[in-house]
Amino acid sequence: MTAEATVLLIVLPLFGAFLLPTIGRINASAAHWSGALLLALLPLLAIELWNLHSAGALPPLALGGYLAPLGIVLYPDRLSLTLVLALTLGSLLLWPRLHQNDATGRQATLMLLLVAGGNGLALAGDLFNAFVFYELVAVTSYALAAKLGSGDGYAAALRFLILSALGSALGLLGIALIYTLTGTLNFAHLAQHAAAFNSPLGITAFVLMVLGFGVKAELFPVNSWVPEVYGATSHRIAGLLAGIVSKLALLLLLRLITLLYSDVEVAGWLLFTLGLLGLISGELAAWRATDLRHTLAYSSIGQLGVMVMALSLPGESGMVALLALALHHLVVKPGLFLFSDGWHGTSLAGAARRGPWGGVLFLLFALSLIGVPPLPGFWAKLLFIREALAAGGPWLLAIAIILTATVLETAYLFRFLRRAYSRHGSAGYGAIGPDAALRASAFGATLVVGLLLLNPLTELLQQTAAEIIDTPSYIARVLDVPVEVTP
Amino acid sequence: MNSLDLLLLLTTLTTLLALLMGRWRPVGWLLTLLYALQLALLADLGLTLQGGGQVVSQLQLTLLGYPIGLVLDGFGWLFAAITLLIALFSSWFGSGAWSAERSDRRAQHLTLSLNVTAMLLLLASGDLLTLFITWELVSWSGFALMAYAGGRAADAALRYLIYAIAGAMALLAALLLVEQQGGSFQFAAVATAVTTLDSAGLWLLLLLFFTGFGVKMALLPFHLWQAEAYALTPGPGAAFLGAISSRMGLFALMLVVVKLIGLEHLAALAIPYTFLDAQSLLAWIAAFTIIIPTFIALTQSDARRLLAWHGIGQTGYMVLGIVIGTELGVAGGLLHVFNYATYQAALFLSVSAVIYRTGTADLDRLGGLITRMPLAYVTMLMGIIGLAGLPPMNGFVSKWMVYKALLDNGQPLLFVAAIIGTLGTILSVYKLIHNTFLGQLRAEHQAVREVPWSMSVPMLALAAIGFITGWMPGLALSAIDVAQQALGIATLPHHLGGFSLSNGNLDMLWVVGALLASIGIGALIFFAGNRRHLTHQLDNYAGGHFLSSSHRYHYSHNFYAGLMHLIGPWYRGTFRWLEQALINSVEVGGNAALGLFRNSAMLLYMVAALTLALWLLL
Repeated sequence: MTAEATVLLIVLPLFGAFLLPTIGRINASAAHWSGALLLALLPLLAIELWNLHSAGALPPLALGGYLAPLGIVLYPDRLSLTLVLALTLGSLLLWPRLHQNDATGRQATLMLLLVAGGNGLALAGDLFNAFVFYELVAVTSYALAAKLGSGDGYAAALRFLILSALGSALGLLGIALIYTLTGTLNFAHLAQHAAAFNSPLGITAFVLMVLGFGVKAELFPVNSWVPEVYGATSHRIAGLLAGIVSKLALLLLLRLITLLYSDVEVAGWLLFTLGLLGLISGELAAWRATDLRHTLAYSSIGQLGVMVMALSLPGESGMVALLALALHHLVVKPGLFLFSDGWHGTSLAGAARRGPWGGVLFLLFALSLIGVPPLPGFWAKLLFIREALAAGGPWLLAIAIILTATVLETAYLFRFLRRAYSRHGSAGYGAIGPDAALRASAFGATLVVGLLLLNPLTELLQQTAAEIIDTPSYIARVLDVPVEVTP
Repeated sequence: MNSLDLLLLLTTLTTLLALLMGRWRPVGWLLTLLYALQLALLADLGLTLQGGGQVVSQLQLTLLGYPIGLVLDGFGWLFAAITLLIALFSSWFGSGAWSAERSDRRAQHLTLSLNVTAMLLLLASGDLLTLFITWELVSWSGFALMAYAGGRAADAALRYLIYAIAGAMALLAALLLVEQQGGSFQFAAVATAVTTLDSAGLWLLLLLFFTGFGVKMALLPFHLWQAEAYALTPGPGAAFLGAISSRMGLFALMLVVVKLIGLEHLAALAIPYTFLDAQSLLAWIAAFTIIIPTFIALTQSDARRLLAWHGIGQTGYMVLGIVIGTELGVAGGLLHVFNYATYQAALFLSVSAVIYRTGTADLDRLGGLITRMPLAYVTMLMGIIGLAGLPPMNGFVSKWMVYKALLDNGQPLLFVAAIIGTLGTILSVYKLIHNTFLGQLRAEHQAVREVPWSMSVPMLALAAIGFITGWMPGLALSAIDVAQQALGIATLPHHLGGFSLSNGNLDMLWVVGALLASIGIGALIFFAGNRRHLTHQLDNYAGGHFLSSSHRYHYSHNFYAGLMHLIGPWYRGTFRWLEQALINSVEVGGNAALGLFRNSAMLLYMVAALTLALWLLL
């Protein structure tokens, strides 16, 4: 296993995606499961690369032998590999079912393309490739969001496409502005020219990119697509989008703010303000929403608002808080979304009595989301509030609002639990299907494992955070000693 | 493994047993035995905790770099003893005939044991972070106990949950403030934080702690959730909740305010432009907590709600005594916690017995049950004498101590407030017993029998404990000594019958002796006098007509009509209005947020950003 294997994280799923329709013509089931098998290889590869990185033997990869800052560089560090792991494992747990409308294996192909794009986005060492992979993720998410055989789904996906495409255009404009400012798009090279971004043009570029890429990160005010799309798509895809794809967009914003805009105060305050407004609007709307799917959609807007605020927290501990919040949300939200089909409308009443295991899982996820100790959600919130308290000033207002938001979260989540445990439900079939129950159990098991391994996990997060804010080290690694890959 | 670890292991085993085998009928008895065992263990622990000692658990964790440790001192020990005592009798009550026909037996046993485990962990917390974690465990187990019955109980429990989470968030903020100022989550950091915080910061800290713990205690203005939630919990659960559950808030508040911060700091915090300071503010909040809920109890027509509202009111006495800070006051307040637990549990259990036999606790639909359920009557009689604070029951002793402490400390107005509360209590408990047991027996209750022994023995035992500790308060005061020493306050010199101070004394041995003697003399005269001829209640006539059971001659509805005519206009429902106003503002905010998402102006923002960018470029 050498450092060159990094590129396999992108190439393997791409290759699989192109191969799958061909296999699918012969045997649809074989295509479906070989896709899953391929996907299952990726986390193992990511863990191997992580071990290499810990040993110090994983330098940035320059593709085709063209060195930075002109060539394409892949930068596998702890953050990228964490997100690669999260994306591949999450996609595996949310792998589509073999559906009679989907004889060509379209869903499986799209998932592999999404994974390829997401891995590329996480590993990208320059802004343009980040954008390319971001677009790949975006296009596949439009297609996945169009729920098979549902008119609502197609309409919602179309609106999603238009709005997100406009956002991508804004993002591209921002990238173009950055190029005019500095003449380069390589992250390390841009970090060297970071002083240029403390100007009106630089800040405009930031605003454009934040609004543009913030569409996927459910940023206020460009998140009005969220309730509609999450409401119309399948529960797996809603979980995938809310839990995992949003973190990819956050990663891009994170790279921008730590490498390029770390000295620009306005950037931090912009993220703080947008995050705060997102938190307030998301949680209040969630309290008012009537069905589980929309409640969870608004709730994820609120939670992502907290994470966007955490982006602007100064220091290493702030980064740890952001990573803890992001990883926790990544596990809990898809788990909750898996209930949104079964616990719906008239079948909500008594659902937890018909399916007791489902009730326990939902309770577990709800308690962790609210932040009840000793579950991981509590520790993530504790870290965030502690750092906010240390930062002082307007952050104190943010703390008061987060604490109030927690009360609202309890109210809206336990409303559903109350009805699910009511004794006046209709007798008969179980609430959520065995498929959704299995997936939710997997997410629940991940949460419990996270709880049991809390201390080692925190150490890992601290190491990751230290790497993230260490910009000089990033520059040194990329521009000084890249690895050549012969074509 | 020391005694504390053994105790915690036992209580965890109890919970596991309830979880795994709770459906099996005999498990209830097994659990009751386990509670008794834990109580015995705790009594043994009490000997080592005298003189301000503490027991450190060997279970030490470090999470995220924060140490989590369990330490039991005398103060926690007292509350633990009361918890296990009430759990023992509640479990006993609920193990026999009560749960024989019920389908939610496992939920009943599991929620009770979960609560006991969580409370023991809370009482043994060794630092602020552990306090918070166990506090949340207690809140959530309390929610489970209130909610498992479903229906309206679950709705009331949900309301409780909102309050509880709001309190927990205030508590979290207070904790993080202490950590920021004091450097860590250890108890000693609170003292450091108090010195480094300015006056405004200290007020904020106090208010946050007060909100956090006051919600659980149902101190004004956080009291609206408790009565409904406790009243609708079935049977033994309600007894347990009413007796000891909200005392956890008292434990935590007193731990922080008296032991960690210190009452002298509270007295030094003055409210500008008034003569009040933080200590007297707390005392006055306690005083209003005595008066307002007690008079709300007066108007209740459901027996359980009446008792639950009294529960809120009696907390005021405990807080009042402890906040005064003198040996007598603190002893009175702590003794009131124990006394209240015994008679409130007895009262709730006797009301549960009435519900078990008649199916209702509505005071307008009962009456005359003394002839059918004499044991329940005796329990309720002793309970209400205790609740009203009259001899020979233990409630009298603790209330006497609180009154005396108030007067000794030069607080006549607070004393008057406490007396007004007692007046309201006496009035409403008489209504309780009159409407339930006295008066005319209804036709539909003619066939009612006494409850089985499995239910009447525990409630009589609790009443008996109340009587014995009322006759010989020295027994209970020895236990209070352990707690007072742990708080760092000098103990009250006492003897078996009470105490004697330089400016007054109380000797219950003489008081109860005189009372029993006079009852004896009265009985002698009664029974040795003229022959008695027993007749049926309805073998009588009034207004020229013979009585018949189809008519109601029993005055019970709108019992205090005359009094209500006078003080009715004073019931304004201000707190309910405030609560509803808060909910309405959140609704408005929610509607605004939802409207924000409906009116999708996303494109507009993007176009605006685009225009701005182009303008800057060109």
